[in-house]
Amino acid sequence: MLSRVVLSAAATAAPCLKTAAVLGPGALQATRIFHTGQPQLAPVPPLPEYGGKVRLGLIPEEFFQFLYPKTGVTGPYMLGTGLILYCLSKEIYVITPETFSTISVVGLLVYAIKKYGASVAEFIDKLNEQKIAQLEEVKQASIKQIQDVIELEKSQQALTQKRHYLFDVQRNNIAMALEVTYRERLHKVYKEVKNRLDYHISVQDMMRRKEQEHMINWVEKNVVQSISAQQEKETIAKCIADLKLLSKKAQAQPVM
Amino acid sequence: MDVKLGELSSWILTRDFTPKGITGAFQRGYNRYYNKYINVRKGSIAGVNMVLAAYVLFSYCLSYKELKHERRRKYH
Repeated sequence: MLSRVVLSAAATAAPCLKTAAVLGPGALQATRIFHTGQPQLAPVPPLPEYGGKVRLGLIPEEFFQFLYPKTGVTGPYMLGTGLILYCLSKEIYVITPETFSTISVVGLLVYAIKKYGASVAEFIDKLNEQKIAQLEEVKQASIKQIQDVIELEKSQQALTQKRHYLFDVQRNNIAMALEVTYRERLHKVYKEVKNRLDYHISVQDMMRRKEQEHMINWVEKNVVQSISAQQEKETIAKCIADLKLLSKKAQAQPVM
Repeated sequence: MDVKLGELSSWILTRDFTPKGITGAFQRGYNRYYNKYINVRKGSIAGVNMVLAAYVLFSYCLSYKELKHERRRKYH
């Protein structure tokens, strides 16, 4: 499957590779195909539980099965007995003092194995199991560690999907800053304009006040100038008469 | 066996008798015995026992020449 990917990639990349003469060796590397066969022994097959069956501890079972069709069950035993008697009678096997020591040693060994074989086998099996359990632990720990790393990687990949929150926040901040500066400048503009307009208004007010004062002064001066001596005497006499009238009224009022 | 008795001579001729081939044959034989009787989870003593018995027979054959003189009867 990977080879197909490489081939398609090479096919799409080939036009641009052909144009670039510098990448000649690269094109050759890209078209080589690796690992096309099915992987053999990929999960290593487990060890068989028991070995080949052996009878009497010496002769494999296949021999008995080989002779079974022709001679039945007792065939190989008869063959063994016959061979032993033949060797003894023809003295192919010579009976020496060593024979007796051999017989006693072999007898002792057989007895010992028959008696203690099973317990020794159990003990060794337990040792084996401990070793296997240790290795299994290491394997499980390694698997777990790799899975943890995968989880971490996935979560970090997921984080990159959430980058847009960061960018949104930054965009919001920038927009707010822009808004704030805009409003500040607007306010400044308003203040400046108001300042100018206030200036004009105050100038106008001042002008009007000055004109008013000037006019009043001028009117007063003219009126004072226009009052001749005679008019002054007449007005003073009239004022005195009015005052006398008012005083009479005032005297009359409290009595009522 | 996979080779029939009649084809035995022709089969022997196809075998590889270079040193490398003979080494390969011994290696194959050893591996076959090893993987059948010794490289198992619950191996019995028969795996080692057969090798020892073969060694006993082999050494008996080698020392038969001296043992011939200790025969009890001369004519069988």
